[in-house]
Amino acid sequence: MSKLQANISGIIKSSVIDGPGNRMVIFFQECNLNCMYCHNSHTIGLCNLCGTCVHTCPSNSLKIDSKNKRIIHNENSCTRCDECLKVCPENSSPFYKQMSVEDIISEILEGKDFISGITVSGGEVMLHAPFLSLLFQEIRSNSELKHLSILIDSNGNIDQEKWNSLLPYIDGVMLDIKAYSANTHKKITGYSNEKILKSIHYLDNKSKLKELRFVLVPDYNNHEMEIREIAKLMKSVSPSVQKSLIKMRKHGIRKEFAHLIEPREEEIEYAKNIFSQAKLDILVI
Amino acid sequence: MNIESRRMEEIKDRVLQVLTDGNLDYRQKKHLLAYIAESTQAYPEISKEATAALNEKIICDLFEGNAPYRPRYVLPDYAYALKNGVNYLELEPPTNFDEAINFLSILYVQVPSITGYSVYLGNIDTLLLGYVDDLSEEEIYKKLKLFWQFIDRTLPDAFVHINIGPEDNIIARVILRIERELKQVVPNLTLKYDPEITSDELLLEASKTVFEVAKPHIANHKMTASDFKGEYGVVSCYNSLPVGGGSHTLIRLNLKKITDLHSGDADSFISGTLKKYCEMTLDVIEARTKYLVETVKYYDNDFLAKEGIISLDNFSAMFGFYGLAECVNQFMKRCGNELCYGKDEEANQLAHLILEEMKKIVDARELPYCKASNGKAFFHAQSGIDIDIEETAGARIPIGSEPDIYSHINAVAPHHHLFNGGISDIFHFDETVKRNRTAIVDIIKGAFRKGMRMFTFNLSNGEFIRITGYLVRRSDLLEFREEGSRYGSALFAANSMDNANVDNRVSKRVISNEQVAGKY
Repeated sequence: MSKLQANISGIIKSSVIDGPGNRMVIFFQECNLNCMYCHNSHTIGLCNLCGTCVHTCPSNSLKIDSKNKRIIHNENSCTRCDECLKVCPENSSPFYKQMSVEDIISEILEGKDFISGITVSGGEVMLHAPFLSLLFQEIRSNSELKHLSILIDSNGNIDQEKWNSLLPYIDGVMLDIKAYSANTHKKITGYSNEKILKSIHYLDNKSKLKELRFVLVPDYNNHEMEIREIAKLMKSVSPSVQKSLIKMRKHGIRKEFAHLIEPREEEIEYAKNIFSQAKLDILVI
Repeated sequence: MNIESRRMEEIKDRVLQVLTDGNLDYRQKKHLLAYIAESTQAYPEISKEATAALNEKIICDLFEGNAPYRPRYVLPDYAYALKNGVNYLELEPPTNFDEAINFLSILYVQVPSITGYSVYLGNIDTLLLGYVDDLSEEEIYKKLKLFWQFIDRTLPDAFVHINIGPEDNIIARVILRIERELKQVVPNLTLKYDPEITSDELLLEASKTVFEVAKPHIANHKMTASDFKGEYGVVSCYNSLPVGGGSHTLIRLNLKKITDLHSGDADSFISGTLKKYCEMTLDVIEARTKYLVETVKYYDNDFLAKEGIISLDNFSAMFGFYGLAECVNQFMKRCGNELCYGKDEEANQLAHLILEEMKKIVDARELPYCKASNGKAFFHAQSGIDIDIEETAGARIPIGSEPDIYSHINAVAPHHHLFNGGISDIFHFDETVKRNRTAIVDIIKGAFRKGMRMFTFNLSNGEFIRITGYLVRRSDLLEFREEGSRYGSALFAANSMDNANVDNRVSKRVISNEQVAGKY
């Protein structure tokens, strides 16, 4: 098997909210957007061994291993206070691990009897396309795993050709659209949405778009025009694509974005109405 | 005052206490008065040591009473009755759906049990399918809905159990629909599931129903059926027993208490104390069985037996136990480590060993009148009652210390095959799973692949709360504390909530005066 490794921020053995059925979810470290309301901002960046977390840790559970260029985490003494995550200037974490395709396959084998499939998520998982390609090939050629469904949860901010090598192996992609107007998108995520819009249409054409989600953030993307454009976009993809409207929640977001406010019930209703006017069947979460 | 008159005074006091208890309705009082009357009889003949063990609740007869005059669990062969009619009740074989429902309704109230209400109402879909004829789904629905209401109001006890499956059929589906709609405690419901027979759609319907009413339980049909010569039914608290028969009695051994009595290590426990008390439990089972069969002559006199709806040859007795977790954890502690049953492999291995040894002891003992299981008692992990304060039900992992769901299944599945008399472990799910029913289906299928016999749910924030083996409504529990409940089992539940950590599963702890079944 390949020596290729990926930074894995976590594996959830049983998830009922990341696609149909009971699924194992593998979270990859590093993201190419910087959304204000990111609930897992410690999965955005990569560790540069600055040592801030090591000095902050109240239980002295972190050490720099300069030889291997990594942080050693003592799980026994760690109290999971997560101070390290709060102080990291890189939006990173001392907890993510390097794993090989083989390592991940053995995790999946352990839970295979209980799951419909796996979902890869992040961070932005498509930054690891070559690794995913190997992982998926391995799953599809393993007699005990090949029946599992494979879903990708992505932000879509990726060049079109990156999808090509993966599409033959996967069942679908779940994508977010954070805003339709490039400006608003940039405000929310720090980046423009050109690639994302392309990804949506490309995946839809290939019948691989499974779900399209829109997170409603008051004062950013809740203007009538913005929602109408989103509705138009959702209407333009196949009716079989699940469409979801998600209320932005403040749980776990970074201090500097504390000014964000959760949508009120009437704001959700307002958005829902616009989607209904566009004759869209949308799930509110 | 001499002993006799002091005893008489004591009985009078107990009677008065029942008569004046405002939390009990007329029928519940009558049932408890009969219990007190029965207690005036001498216990079936057992050794002094066994009597002492019963008094100290080391061995527990689950308040079956001093003088057994009816079997604990009766599973009438309703198919036979429907085919042949019942002379005693002057019932001809029914010829259509309405007559079949009416026939069963009449028969149900005649079936004896310890609680006074039949614990088994049949594999209802297979019983009724032959009478569907050209009825539409809506017509079936209307008729069954009234039938379901009749069952709940007439047999108000959560131990009353009905079965559906394994085939997917219109009756099973309509029943699941009615369950979701009526949200009744009674009847308790089990779906027999076999991946080769049952459709995924029926299992999905069942899991949708679980989210509403915390039932049905899902039984591993293939595994359970292979333990029985003929048909089986799941009754009361996950007991699997032969149809057309049942169990004379269920006596359970308190593994925590005998561990406390034992001063050595696990090895000497298994070869000494455990063996001694298992034999003593089997002595009690034998004495009670003989009393029922030979002294009371139940099987010679009851119309169910006379008319072939049950037969002594289809009966056996049940050997139960509880408090395995406390037993194992205690021995772990004695070896100087804090390993826990459910979480640590070494503890799990000891648990399996103890269970296997108990099974061997039970299987080595020839019992009279237990032909249904080749002269041996059915082995059963008893799912607990209200008086269990320090002991965890059967072989379960203590509430609150369950590991993640896969580890939980992997810890308990390896011993499920031992329990031909039934075992259950309860798995907790949170609300998010409601949006994703297929996830439940995945987990059930996985659990059965690992050798689980029965899968039972508890959904946090649900309207229903599972107490050991049966269900109560949250509102009934609250109501019972205040003014009594129509359901006999709500009383057990109220006590369970007080005594065990079952209340870890409810959002609000309700404080009340304790009532223990044995206090009467």
